[in-house]
Amino acid sequence: METESALSLESLNIIGPDHYAKNGYPHREWTYLRKHKPVFWCEYPKTDPFWAITKHADIIQISKQPRLFLNGPRLLVFVNEMGLERSPTPPFRHLLDMDPPDHGEYRAVVSRRFTPRGVRPLQPEIENITRQVLDDVTGRDKCDFVLDVSSKIPLAVIAELLGVPHKDWEQLFRWTNETIGGGDPEFQAGTTAQETMDRSRLGLFQYFTDMVVERMKHPANDITSVVANGKVNGQPIPQFEMLSYYFLLVVAGNETTRNATTGGLLAFIEHPDQWQKLKRNPELIDSAVEEIVRWTTPVIQFARTATEDTVIRGQKIKAGESVCLFYPSANRDEEVFEQPFKFDIGRDPNPHIAFGLGEHFCLGANLARLELKVIFSQLAQRLDHAELAGPVERLRSSFVGGIKHMPIRMKMKPAAAAA
Amino acid sequence: MKVVVDQKLCEGNTKCQQTAPEVFEVRDDDKSHLLIDNPPERMREKVKLAAKLCPRQAITVSDD
Ligand code: HEM
Ligand code: SF4
Repeated sequence: METESALSLESLNIIGPDHYAKNGYPHREWTYLRKHKPVFWCEYPKTDPFWAITKHADIIQISKQPRLFLNGPRLLVFVNEMGLERSPTPPFRHLLDMDPPDHGEYRAVVSRRFTPRGVRPLQPEIENITRQVLDDVTGRDKCDFVLDVSSKIPLAVIAELLGVPHKDWEQLFRWTNETIGGGDPEFQAGTTAQETMDRSRLGLFQYFTDMVVERMKHPANDITSVVANGKVNGQPIPQFEMLSYYFLLVVAGNETTRNATTGGLLAFIEHPDQWQKLKRNPELIDSAVEEIVRWTTPVIQFARTATEDTVIRGQKIKAGESVCLFYPSANRDEEVFEQPFKFDIGRDPNPHIAFGLGEHFCLGANLARLELKVIFSQLAQRLDHAELAGPVERLRSSFVGGIKHMPIRMKMKPAAAAA
Repeated sequence: MKVVVDQKLCEGNTKCQQTAPEVFEVRDDDKSHLLIDNPPERMREKVKLAAKLCPRQAITVSDD
């Protein structure tokens, strides 16, 4: 690790996608900012300026005030590498870019499906899906953990929740990858990132348009039916908002949970003592899941825009300026976490904010926790050995911290032998 | 001390109940309900912690 003095406010970059692809999260830079400039004005090429917020307490303060800090005007800090014109009509209107009072009305349409009580009945299905995915790699001595395991489970769970038939899962998988990873060459199906994203968005919209027609006629016990027949302020949901809703559900629960899973296994490979600890103490699974989510913090940032002049940590923020909330930095805040750079599956308390907080608190947090609990419980029972079999390749994105490929050498036991 | 749970925000995450079971109860409607409207002063710390930990920031604690 280089010394802190090698960093300076003028040169540090915390938003360039290349930086994330090459080095992973800029924890060294964030640590420096938390210490020296926790509310930091950033001006980078091809990026609208923003305040970088790196302290846990400040992200909480901002997230608690959804009328002072809006999501709508600017959802995240985007590096406009292609020099795209700002499109006159936004491509979506979903929970993440809505604000009060509409936001709460829309969220209430599905929120009961995602409470702890709401997700509990899904456990047997999640267990089946996970078992099947692990069965498929049992007997092999090598796999790409991302392609073969971690990407498959969250997608299958969401597809199941939405009532998408198995035969269409691959297609959903492709659209999701292309939309969220459009800035990564590997996932570009068009000539530019924008074309790739537009194409996959249209693909999804068309797919769900057909499904909605069907579910309006014959409602089923799936979330597609809940949204298709849902009401907002007493009115049916308009088509654009409805399609955006499905889009959000497909995208939000996928890369995030996938990367928590991949990053979680990587953490265990790097900390074998913690892996042994989990294998010996299965009751630690709940706190292990929280620590995996803190450690990986898959969502790098969301932004908010101030509606009035205000002050954060003594720094004046003007109306119309945006603040960028760096969740992974908050989750290493030395004022909140003891030894924040230690991966400790018994950590308690663990008040991480990897799922955000307040008005936009991750709708899928309970589902994600359940998935991770099932996945790591089964891995702890079945995975006798895992080590890296090649370099970890990271996604070129400063929004979701992704691992694209993680080749591992492994020994997976059959489920029966594990039981 | 007065405690209010914003029923529109609350989504039954049960952090409040885990933190201060004497005060909060999450029922079948997936909403947190107050077991006591004006919890005694000795519970202030616990109730404040519940408010802090609530993922939806649905709990407010005021003085009267
Ligand atoms: C480990 C996995 C996950 C992480 C780290 C994560 C993280 C986040 C974060 C940071 C936010 C924004 C919170 C804020 O602004 O305060 C969010 C919002 C959201 N997440 Fe997740 N998420 C995960 C899994 C899921 C899953 C499985 C779903 C399933 C549907 C999901 C659905 C959503 C939705 C719909 C929103 C928007 C909520 C709103 O604006 O009201 N997420 N998530
Ligand atoms: S912690 Fe907050 S959201 Fe969860 S049940 Fe209590 S009041 Fe409701």
